[in-house]
Amino acid sequence: MYWMANAFIFRRRDSPIHALDPRVKLLISIELFTLSLISSTIIHISVTLAVIFSIAALAKILVRIYRTLLFTAGFSILIFVINFLVGYSIITSFVLAVRFIAIVGSTSLFFLTTSPDELEYVMKWFRLPQDVVFAFVTAVRFVPVLMLDAIQIMDAQKSRGLELERGNFINRIKKLAPILIPLVVTAVIRSGELAEAMEARAYGAVKNPTSLYTLTLKRRDKSVGILSVTIFAAVLIYFLSG
Amino acid sequence: MPKIIEAKGFTFYYSGSTKPALSDVDLSIDEGEIVIIAGPSGCGKSTLLRSVNGLIPHMYSGTYQGEVYVNNLKVSEHTISEIAKHVGYVFQNPENQIFMFSVERDIAFGLENLGLPRDEIRERVDWAINLLGIREISLRAPHEISDGQKQRVAIAGVLAMKPRLLILDEPTSLLDPLSALDLINTVNRLHDTLNLTVIIVEHRLDLLVSIADRLVVMEDGRIICNDKPRNVLNDEKLLTIGVGVPSVVRLQHLLKDICSFKTLSLTPSEFVEQINEALG
Amino acid sequence: MIEFINVSYIHQTGVVALNEVTVQFGKGELVAIVGANGAGKTTLVKHMNGLLKPTKGTVKVFGYDTTQQTVAALSRRVGIVFQNADHQLFSDTVEHEIEFGLRNFGFSDDVVKQRVDWALRFFGLKEYANTSPMMLSGGEKKRLCLAAVLAWDPDVLVLDEPTVGQDLLHKEKLEQIIRLLLTQEKTVILVSHDIEFLWPMQPRTVVMSKGKIIADRPASKVFTDDYVLASARLINPQLVELSKRLKLSNEEVFDTIFTAKRWFLTKYRWS
Repeated sequence: MYWMANAFIFRRRDSPIHALDPRVKLLISIELFTLSLISSTIIHISVTLAVIFSIAALAKILVRIYRTLLFTAGFSILIFVINFLVGYSIITSFVLAVRFIAIVGSTSLFFLTTSPDELEYVMKWFRLPQDVVFAFVTAVRFVPVLMLDAIQIMDAQKSRGLELERGNFINRIKKLAPILIPLVVTAVIRSGELAEAMEARAYGAVKNPTSLYTLTLKRRDKSVGILSVTIFAAVLIYFLSG
Repeated sequence: MPKIIEAKGFTFYYSGSTKPALSDVDLSIDEGEIVIIAGPSGCGKSTLLRSVNGLIPHMYSGTYQGEVYVNNLKVSEHTISEIAKHVGYVFQNPENQIFMFSVERDIAFGLENLGLPRDEIRERVDWAINLLGIREISLRAPHEISDGQKQRVAIAGVLAMKPRLLILDEPTSLLDPLSALDLINTVNRLHDTLNLTVIIVEHRLDLLVSIADRLVVMEDGRIICNDKPRNVLNDEKLLTIGVGVPSVVRLQHLLKDICSFKTLSLTPSEFVEQINEALG
Repeated sequence: MIEFINVSYIHQTGVVALNEVTVQFGKGELVAIVGANGAGKTTLVKHMNGLLKPTKGTVKVFGYDTTQQTVAALSRRVGIVFQNADHQLFSDTVEHEIEFGLRNFGFSDDVVKQRVDWALRFFGLKEYANTSPMMLSGGEKKRLCLAAVLAWDPDVLVLDEPTVGQDLLHKEKLEQIIRLLLTQEKTVILVSHDIEFLWPMQPRTVVMSKGKIIADRPASKVFTDDYVLASARLINPQLVELSKRLKLSNEEVFDTIFTAKRWFLTKYRWS
């Protein structure tokens, strides 16, 4: 489970990539994602991976990307083996396996360089409904809090003699009740309190709430955006032409 | 004098309950008053507060008789959002009322919900931040600030909406004593600066009685005392119903059969002054 | 009985939660552990039943090294009641909730029945025996959590912020229970901010700050020391403030209103 944390959790950092407008970061990720899907030869996939790693290097997240990909390596090997057994050549199977790594890498690039705040602004810019955006924000805000609750619950129940590691499979499942029930109850209570607080701050008063901050494209964002689209188009044509 | 709150014969049953949570409550509060609401657990304090900001009857359904008015608006006929412009509500748990990833954005939350233009939001957010003295933490995330700071952020977020009434529901119960004292002093200062009307629900009266204009005591859904703190605390029966009467007041009750004091002292310093006067 | 020998606890992130702490807690003691949030109080207490094991140093409970024992084995003798009742309650009835710990520790059916019965009566929960714990009020839930732990009769009882959000009547009941436990020679350790609750009981007071113990003295010497109180984010209890304004020495400080009354009677010769 740890690799997922490394793959997708944002951490503040000073880099030219992090500083870009989130819409541009999304654009670049989508472009790389598409190239990964279209890659059908070793050259294609190497080019795509090279770009992903260069951008990761620029964003100073090379180590994190590397760790992520190390964990997805297992899955990649599986893809390789299955395709090979089904009848594809070694090279094709290899490309398909590595393609998976590129897909995860390109998505990871976006999430590692974009803060939840920025994600929220992007969602608003796409005119997603207020409830959806708010649900996302609340989830990101409170999942860590709920995780802390879970730890406290486990501590409390262990202190009452609950031993989670002992017993056969069925017993161990039964032993989850003292953990899960308080967790659900706590989560429900929190939601209730949140709902009260939301209402008390006029949530839903207006159909389209305004915003303190808004996304503005700077010159650098525009130039990077245009540059990436041009390069993408060129590479796409090259890939598709065989 | 304009009445901020007026409750007339208000009775409320939560859905499915046969016992009323509030029974025939009459309460009127003038602008600029600081009112404490105290009483044992289950006496109806939180229910009363919810009836003022509209959570009752709009979010918590039930049956009621009588009416509650806030700033001359009938609570039952206005949405919670509408009432939120008049009543600011600060909840007990600092964690569950901060929604956004940064302090500044959370303070803006209510204003964004009201659809105010960006410049006005900016202005009010800055005003609230300065008012509460939280400039250095304005860009921090909720997990990076203490509970005492979180309560200040909550107050800022609520005051940014410029209500005339501020309600605080046990705001200090999860805070250490020094942070609790800080918070109460802040609320007092805000009351003086903005002529805010303040209603606080609290168990621990010792920090509050000296600044309150009125002490309202509830039991079993009814208001049993509603007067200046000095007058209410003179009544010994409060001790039997579980109200946290300050030690210095209990001491004076204990000394009553020995000697009588001119007025009831609410703090140690007042008490010592009285003793020195009485005995020269 | 509980010994901390040069204990340090360092998180994976590098944060030092306990910094070379050495302290002992003996039989029949009443100890208050105070300090600001993050000072290390809860971390200290979690070492007492093995929930946390020291990064450096040793913790011994009844002579046993905690790294050689399971949390369950240690909890049998050191019962901890945590602050949030909602983090513990999960059973369908109050009776089953109290049974939970007893069953985990392997008590026989007869003993379980006996102990559950005792706990229900002692804590005034008999009428709720077949009710769901979720239906109880906040104060009753906390009482139930305490009952569930005392049911297995640990030698040491640790309470983490037991008076938060409680009204006066519940606090008085809690004080009575604590005093009763002390007469039975149990050790009671209270982690609390509630100065007005702690003060009349005059506990041995351990003050923590930034992972260290900065004071370990009787209550009368801690709650009168403004410097120590400030580092623990505490203030004087009202009776201490009154005593100071009356210019009393630290020995004469009023611990309860009855002591204060006697002082007034003698001082001003009222009778």
